[in-house]
Amino acid sequence: MMRLRAKSSEPEASERWEAQLRKGALEMAALASLWHGRLYGLEIIRFLESQSQLILAEGTIYPILHRLRAEGLLTSEWVEAEARHPRKYYSLTDPGRQRLHEMAEAWASFAGGLTRLLDPVLNHSRNIRSTEDKQEVQP
Amino acid sequence: MIQTMGLETYISSLRSHLGPITIGDREEIVREIAAYIRDSVEQSGLSLKSVLERLGPPDELAAQYRDGLLIRRASRSISPLLLLRASLRLATKGLSGIVVFFAAIIGYAMGGGFVLSAFAKCFFPAHTGVWIRDGELISSGTQFEVPSPPAHDIAGWWYVPAALVIGSLLILLTSFVIRKALRVSHMLQAKLGLLRSTEPVG
Repeated sequence: MMRLRAKSSEPEASERWEAQLRKGALEMAALASLWHGRLYGLEIIRFLESQSQLILAEGTIYPILHRLRAEGLLTSEWVEAEARHPRKYYSLTDPGRQRLHEMAEAWASFAGGLTRLLDPVLNHSRNIRSTEDKQEVQP
Repeated sequence: MIQTMGLETYISSLRSHLGPITIGDREEIVREIAAYIRDSVEQSGLSLKSVLERLGPPDELAAQYRDGLLIRRASRSISPLLLLRASLRLATKGLSGIVVFFAAIIGYAMGGGFVLSAFAKCFFPAHTGVWIRDGELISSGTQFEVPSPPAHDIAGWWYVPAALVIGSLLILLTSFVIRKALRVSHMLQAKLGLLRSTEPVG
């Protein structure tokens, strides 16, 4: 993957496109991170990093959580826990779960169609990589 | 001590830049960001300076909250002023926003022009109308110099309701288009970070 990107004639354009793709998925990812239960902001950031490779600029997630809460998709509460200060935990509301269902179905349908479309391209990439690896192994 | 001062300066600056947001919401945002900063310093072992740098300047962080609020309010409003403000903000986000902004300017200018000319007809009836000559449209609206005969005004006093209806419809249509654009602009609102998508964090 990295080799192919390095060979691309316009690597910056490719990276910009990838960044746009990730941005578009952020709202859905923020909702999905709360599927199993409540989390506070820093936990959401770490969950997204570990589960989806969505590495956020730290100032990104809070305005989005604020907006989702204002739209009634999330609820929040301050909890005094083991920390020396309270933390604001977010949970999905029923409309939030419904919206996430709709987003997930739309995403799965869209991604499935694109994956079929891209299968020949990916196979070709794998073949190139395999050939290059064999050439590197041979003296 | 220096770290505490740094945190308080950041929080104070953030609070001051959150101006248009209600006091309750503002304090909620400030409290949450302060908790995030303390958690990050305690859990990741990063210095306060590093955490604040990763969070970004307080004015930029506040602008993201303000933009979200402005676009959310405008997308439910019919106030041309509020919609124009939101479309102007959208214009700073990219080409599609610029297109929406100019469409808004043109739509409101045309709609407002029709409505104003309807009122102008009441005060300057001879100078406002729709003039034709030999079956062809010569001029319309409010004119300083009235077209000379054989050109004549075909609208008469019907100009007033017609211009009011057309102007109002144009303003409503423009508002509808802007609101629609704002509602689908969540993708633009998400254009906040993630540019460091290939950098490791922590």
